[in-house]
Amino acid sequence: MDFNLEGLRVFFPYPQIYPEQLAMMTEFKRSLDARGHGAIEMPTGTGKTITVLSLCVSYQIAHPECGKLIYCTRTVPEMEKVLAECRTLERFIAARAGEDVAAMLALGLSSRKNMCVNPRVVDEGSRESVDGKCRRLTASWVREKRLEREARGASENENVEDGGEGNCCEFFEDFESAGEKAVLPPGVYTLHDLRAFGRTKKWCPYFLARNMISFANVVVYNYQYMLDPKVASLVSSSLEKECIVVFDEAHNIDNVCIEALSVNLRQQTLENAGRSITSLNTRIDRAKQTDERRLRQEYERLVNGLAQQGVLARGGGEDVLMNPIIPDDILREAVPGNIRRAEHFVAVLKRFVEYLNMRLRSTQVEQETPTAFLQHCAANAGIDGKTLKFCYDRLTSLLKTLEVVDMDEFNALSLVANFAALVGTYSNGFALILEPYDERYPNIPDPVLQLACLDASLAIKPVFERFQSVFITSGTLSPIDLYPKLLGFNPVSVRSLAMTLTRDCLCPMVITRGADQQAVSTKFDMRDDPNVIQNYGRILIGLAQTVPDGIVAFFVSYSYMENIVSKWHETGILREIMQHKLVFIETTDVVETSLALDNYRRACNCGRGAIFLSVARGKVAEGIDFDRHYGRAVVMYGVPYQYTLSRILRARLEYLRETFQIKESDFLAFDAVRQAAQCVGRVIRSKKDYGLMVFADKRYNSQDKRGKLPGWITTHLREEVLNLSTDMAMQVARTFMRSMSQPFSHDENTQSLLDQAMVDRLAVEGGWREALPALSRKLAPEITMHLS
Amino acid sequence: MTSVEAAYGAEGANGDDDDDDVDAEDAQRALRAWEKKYQSERAWEDLEEDPVTGRLRVTSEAQTAKARERRAKMAALATSAGAAKGMIRFTYVVVDLSRAANEEDFRPNRLSVVGQCATSFIREYFNQNPLSQLGIIVARNGVAERLTELSGSPEAHAAALRNALDASGDFSLQNTLNVARTSLKSIPSYGSREVLYIVSSLSTCDPGNVWTEIAATKAAKVRVSVVAVAAELHVSRRLTEETGGTYGVSLNADHLDDLIMAHAPPPPLPEDATKSSLVQMGFPQKKHLSKDALVVGTGGEYVCPRCSGRIDELPSQCAVCRLTLVSSPHLARSYHHLFPVAPFKEYTRDEASAKEVLECKACLALIKQTDPASKCEQCSNVFCFACDCYIHEKLHNCPHCTCEREN
Repeated sequence: MDFNLEGLRVFFPYPQIYPEQLAMMTEFKRSLDARGHGAIEMPTGTGKTITVLSLCVSYQIAHPECGKLIYCTRTVPEMEKVLAECRTLERFIAARAGEDVAAMLALGLSSRKNMCVNPRVVDEGSRESVDGKCRRLTASWVREKRLEREARGASENENVEDGGEGNCCEFFEDFESAGEKAVLPPGVYTLHDLRAFGRTKKWCPYFLARNMISFANVVVYNYQYMLDPKVASLVSSSLEKECIVVFDEAHNIDNVCIEALSVNLRQQTLENAGRSITSLNTRIDRAKQTDERRLRQEYERLVNGLAQQGVLARGGGEDVLMNPIIPDDILREAVPGNIRRAEHFVAVLKRFVEYLNMRLRSTQVEQETPTAFLQHCAANAGIDGKTLKFCYDRLTSLLKTLEVVDMDEFNALSLVANFAALVGTYSNGFALILEPYDERYPNIPDPVLQLACLDASLAIKPVFERFQSVFITSGTLSPIDLYPKLLGFNPVSVRSLAMTLTRDCLCPMVITRGADQQAVSTKFDMRDDPNVIQNYGRILIGLAQTVPDGIVAFFVSYSYMENIVSKWHETGILREIMQHKLVFIETTDVVETSLALDNYRRACNCGRGAIFLSVARGKVAEGIDFDRHYGRAVVMYGVPYQYTLSRILRARLEYLRETFQIKESDFLAFDAVRQAAQCVGRVIRSKKDYGLMVFADKRYNSQDKRGKLPGWITTHLREEVLNLSTDMAMQVARTFMRSMSQPFSHDENTQSLLDQAMVDRLAVEGGWREALPALSRKLAPEITMHLS
Repeated sequence: MTSVEAAYGAEGANGDDDDDDVDAEDAQRALRAWEKKYQSERAWEDLEEDPVTGRLRVTSEAQTAKARERRAKMAALATSAGAAKGMIRFTYVVVDLSRAANEEDFRPNRLSVVGQCATSFIREYFNQNPLSQLGIIVARNGVAERLTELSGSPEAHAAALRNALDASGDFSLQNTLNVARTSLKSIPSYGSREVLYIVSSLSTCDPGNVWTEIAATKAAKVRVSVVAVAAELHVSRRLTEETGGTYGVSLNADHLDDLIMAHAPPPPLPEDATKSSLVQMGFPQKKHLSKDALVVGTGGEYVCPRCSGRIDELPSQCAVCRLTLVSSPHLARSYHHLFPVAPFKEYTRDEASAKEVLECKACLALIKQTDPASKCEQCSNVFCFACDCYIHEKLHNCPHCTCEREN
């Protein structure tokens, strides 16, 4: 259907629309009109993706001056889903308003591993090795050399030595030679389509997609491409200001931002870095003998400053390293004298690594600010902040000069340089923490030097400043007013949308005590109480008896899970559970966990029933859906607080309190509850699904925890499902399971679905005239030119 | 309950239906968790005292709600009229006697409720399908135990089930399905093959892949229906979808009974199911045995028309020549499934007819203004609700339409 939304003609590819989708569109449109940002919470399973796409694309059609839609997702499958929806939308617009209106270019961008079509490269397996192999084939100097060789006419012999049919990638070469002509015709391209297109045209899909970003109307890619300065400068620098940026599933965006700017150095990293320095030295020596000219040229360039000279200019595959610092923060000045010469620079690096080694030998926990660190460094190693600041760029330049393509070898060194650059640049919002051993094993020395970013707004600020409209959306953004504070932006629209349901298909409940009326909690002083453990076990037994198919249980940490499961084993609770269902456990090992998940799914499919024991904040809690019969119930054991004794967390809390006036307890509770909400939200992925959500901790009964849950859960937390004991909870569960199994028609209920006529009536009531004509869509001239 | 039945004709104070519904819903929502447990059993709340006679009777809203429900059920039966139906059914009832049957969410426990429902189902099944056969399989300790072979005697099945009511161990879908399928495989092609599961367990513990067994069942054209006591189990839901059966989950003991009873009338046949074919049947005569006759076995009262063997009861198969033996009333009783009485329309009183005295054309009793009445659309006669039910559920003929046809 298409309808009039406050004067905008919106194309929506389905015959019916949920009221909350309409509300979300209205919020989006108002922020777009006001050229501002937004934070919108909308539960999963309500068609968030298509809502965003349909509104933004419709807006682009009506306002040709509006820029691209940049849709940031967390995973590749999500990306493919977005593009598939985009295609439905495109077809619908074409049917409604004609091909010329619908014509658009939408594409996804991912790493080389997911996009490469060269069979020799893509077989490499891991992401790093694919990247490395690609660089080896496509770096400009590699290609130049090959051309030279071919010119000399001696190619045949040498090619054999270099292993196989020439060290070039025919896809990249064809793409390069096509030059300006290498464009995608308008359409929607998933990664698969891009690969297929690349194969038929013999063009490299990765570089084609990267090139086409500047012409596209809709771009879908990973968070990192927008947030991580190292990647963003490579991919997103050419985007115009008028773009609409959407971060989907953004409840953890502050952590992503922080991780993008944090560095951990371990003993092993430093050892590797030391080896890399030695290897650099030999390479410099070799270069001196064979090609002194190049080193001298580099020196000249550095005298004049980095940025202007285009040291970082993009070329083929030589995007070796990119600066970890936000572009605006790089001083536009000449590189300090003491690191201009290659050998001097390497000496500085060597000194710095030795200095870090010395710091790591400390037996005490140390915590200091970057300023203190710089001072200490200057006093002991004689390296000042300015030098450190340029380390990263200098290393990039050097590696390029030396024509290094094997980046794997220099990973550790670049990490050290990264560390140096960050510590040299930012004096605020960071903390340096040195821990000589792991808290859990105080006898085993495992020193780690952490440069922890404390301010999530540092990484995302440029995004907010640069783009006209940035939206963060997720199923769990509550309390929604905290996000603008954390991320340091000023949104036009902040809204938490509820879910309209045709039936009460989710049943949250709070269990505060066992059948013996003893309170249950994972509070520190209670968690090892055998009574609590026993009662927690009883909850699971009860659920295993009442709930069919799959059940997921989340614990607060791995150690707590191990502890409680071994206690359950001793007291025979585990055996009792196993009578009803099979039990699978998430471990820190990814392979083991995915195997467990696979078997869990099989057990659910064949009716045996299974329980998956998992950990909040783990991989499973973040990325795996337990929809339909894979998750009929989810139990959250305890409140998943962060490890509050962690020094990084302490530092961050202190920083938040001083800078943003966010109370420590508020932030901790917020963080814990959003994780809990994220965990229990795993079971409902659509309105047709149903699931039981059990919060097993007495602390959930208090308003300050409960109130922080997203609105779509709290509306169902009625009086009768609060403060339950285990046996009462089982009664509720039994009734819920019975009533949800009754036959139910989803089309009957008209209150929660609006059709064309109803939406039109809403528009008229709102004072907007009937359907508007669609304007034509703006396509980059480069693309339309080649369309014929 | 006699007074309840007697109250059908009695007068009741009648409020506005819609308002009452809303109030009832509110009241239900306000129930506490522990109260919900007894919700289905709060039968006393449906009763009220008649101010005139002092007798207890069912409150009018409960009564109308029940009437509405019953009418809908009758209408649902009639809608499948005209569809081909398997008159000769071969059904296995699988009763889950696993550990889960010992749970006490039904009074006194699931086991006895399921046992009662199954017994009454067996009787009703033979009542409605006199030509059909039935067997019982119980699932216990992970294995499938064939309690009775396919046969036609309701009492034998009921007795066998009564003696077997003892629950333990796991439930296995694959094993029970396998036993039922291999047994049903050999029945003649004119019969419809069905399996009815009454499952308490929420999981199935199988020796192999249950999906291959489901595929084999589908290939063998066995229709599997499941009535679950507790909750929806994915694999059994898929099983019914694959084989064209129905799936139901009970809300309470009464609902469970309704769900199971819904399987008593023959289901419409799928289009590709069985080709119609001629079935040889014998109509034995009843002959008393002379006292000095030489008899092997029990020596029943009926005589097989083909081999003159003696048979105890009808319908059954001749023990000697395997001929299917029925009596003509059996055939007649099966006949009504094919041509059910069309549902009567609710009789609404308009302005003109509001004053006139209405009389039920069947029982000749007066129908009060407030009582529900219905009208046969063919002969335009008005019946009271009790007679409406009697005609549709027991008689299967509209008396006036039949009279007109005769004349």
